[in-house]
Amino acid sequence: MSRKRPRWAAEAAGLLLSLLVVVPLYFIVVNSFKDKASAAAMSLALPRKWFLLSNYAEMIDAGGVLTGLRNSAIVTFATVALLIVLCSMTAFTLQRKNTRMSGLLYLLILLGLMIPLQIIPAYFITYYLHVKTYLAAVVMLAVTNFSFGTFLYTGFYKSIPREIDESAIVDGVGPYRLFFGIIFPLLRPVTVTLVIISFMGVWNDFGITIYFLNSPRNYTVTLTIFNFLGTYSSDWNLIFANVVLVSAPVVIVYLLLQRYIIDGMTAGSVKG
Amino acid sequence: MKPTKNKPYTYTLILPGMLLYAVFFLVPSLFGGVLSFANIGRFSFSDIRFTGWTNYMNVLTDDYLSAAIRNSFVFAFATTLLKVGIGTALAVFLNRRLRTTNYLRTVAFLPAVLSTVAVGVFFTSAMHPTNGMINRFLHAVGLGAIAPDWLTDPHLAIYSLVGIETWKWSGFTMAIVLAGLQSISKDYYESANLEGASEWQQFRSITFPLVLPYFNNALIVNLIGGLKVFDLVQAVTQGGPGSATEVFGTLVFKSFGSGRLGEGAAASILLSLIVIAITLPTWKLIARKEVEL
Repeated sequence: MSRKRPRWAAEAAGLLLSLLVVVPLYFIVVNSFKDKASAAAMSLALPRKWFLLSNYAEMIDAGGVLTGLRNSAIVTFATVALLIVLCSMTAFTLQRKNTRMSGLLYLLILLGLMIPLQIIPAYFITYYLHVKTYLAAVVMLAVTNFSFGTFLYTGFYKSIPREIDESAIVDGVGPYRLFFGIIFPLLRPVTVTLVIISFMGVWNDFGITIYFLNSPRNYTVTLTIFNFLGTYSSDWNLIFANVVLVSAPVVIVYLLLQRYIIDGMTAGSVKG
Repeated sequence: MKPTKNKPYTYTLILPGMLLYAVFFLVPSLFGGVLSFANIGRFSFSDIRFTGWTNYMNVLTDDYLSAAIRNSFVFAFATTLLKVGIGTALAVFLNRRLRTTNYLRTVAFLPAVLSTVAVGVFFTSAMHPTNGMINRFLHAVGLGAIAPDWLTDPHLAIYSLVGIETWKWSGFTMAIVLAGLQSISKDYYESANLEGASEWQQFRSITFPLVLPYFNNALIVNLIGGLKVFDLVQAVTQGGPGSATEVFGTLVFKSFGSGRLGEGAAASILLSLIVIAITLPTWKLIARKEVEL
């Protein structure tokens, strides 16, 4: 009996603690269904009259949420696809080659995990090279996530035995077919991890997109919320509806694929 | 022997990635060093006028700008301490089997999934001085007298941001440490139990050293993240009131908007140097401990 009680108490403490996250989420959702006056009261009460879809309809209509969703989808899809290809290729050669050169290049890439992007010169260079809007955002998001992706793949390659490469080479397979035909299909687990983590990072990005996607036409959803806060500052019902619309995709993806995230954390924390 | 071994692997595979990384990350990093000594108002090479250390002097001496440095440090150290402390406690707590373990882990990580701007929006409402959820709660439990102006009191605002950041990322830190705890094979504990090692001995010689690399990662990731913060501050306070929550990130953003690009570049370079100066020794210090143990 003395054993059972702490477990029960731990359970209760955990549930109580989880309210710190659950209550805010409930609050946002419930207030997104209220009218302007009752949302401004910011209470946890259920709406007296459910404005079920009107806030959402208004958001989609006036708030440019659909455009935002489309832009987010374009930018996120392109960046994640680019990251998969670039990081898996780079990490393969750098992990397999054991030369001073490859070590040096890997170190240069790891530097990107630490130092922040120099945003003003980066903007300068994209401007000078006429790389603009979506393309600029995608390129910048790709290079700022490149180090993490390469690091993740490098850790995974250590677990793929070189014997696989060697037997393929004995069969006369060239370097490209070795990578694309034999190695790449083996990467599924780590690729799933990269997809989830970079999807969330890019979908939610604000620090880069605010510089490179700076007109309402190419705002991503994250930028639409920020923009909203300024223009509709007292329409909390609309703001919360926007937050729900913007967060829903990423929360759904998380709930569906969460077990891969912990796996990814483990992979990402493997000592280099 | 070596050259033949390397032959099947080709550097052409790294070319696309390295090229993009070099042009859009490494070159800007070096070019930032150049721009930080220049006075430029627009993005054109012919507009660059070298002015020596002026930008750095301005960043370091101007009250407004140096507030950013101070705030960045306060924010980074306070959030790292809290996130790593709370995250580790959560990881230890959720490393056991409760009936609700899966639910609790899912919920703890959830804030990390939400966009910082969305989180910022929520807390802007929750920290509203009169209607906000937090002060209402304080009033309800009889602490109404201390209910503060979370985001508009210049002495408090930066700590309110620290609180929001901690709410958002503690679960993420938990996931890193938890991954470490779960990577430890049960065999160690079994043989330690056979040897009659106490719980404390087991923690000291099994759990602690094996989880240290993960702990190290969590610490460094949070420290770097804290120094780099921009989105949260921009979404909630935009650096205000006054310069109370100005950080490196908002400083660069403001200089970008006002055309004082050289100062922005200088601030950005300073931030990089500070990040390197703090994280490298910290990482090395802990990494050395790992080897010793």
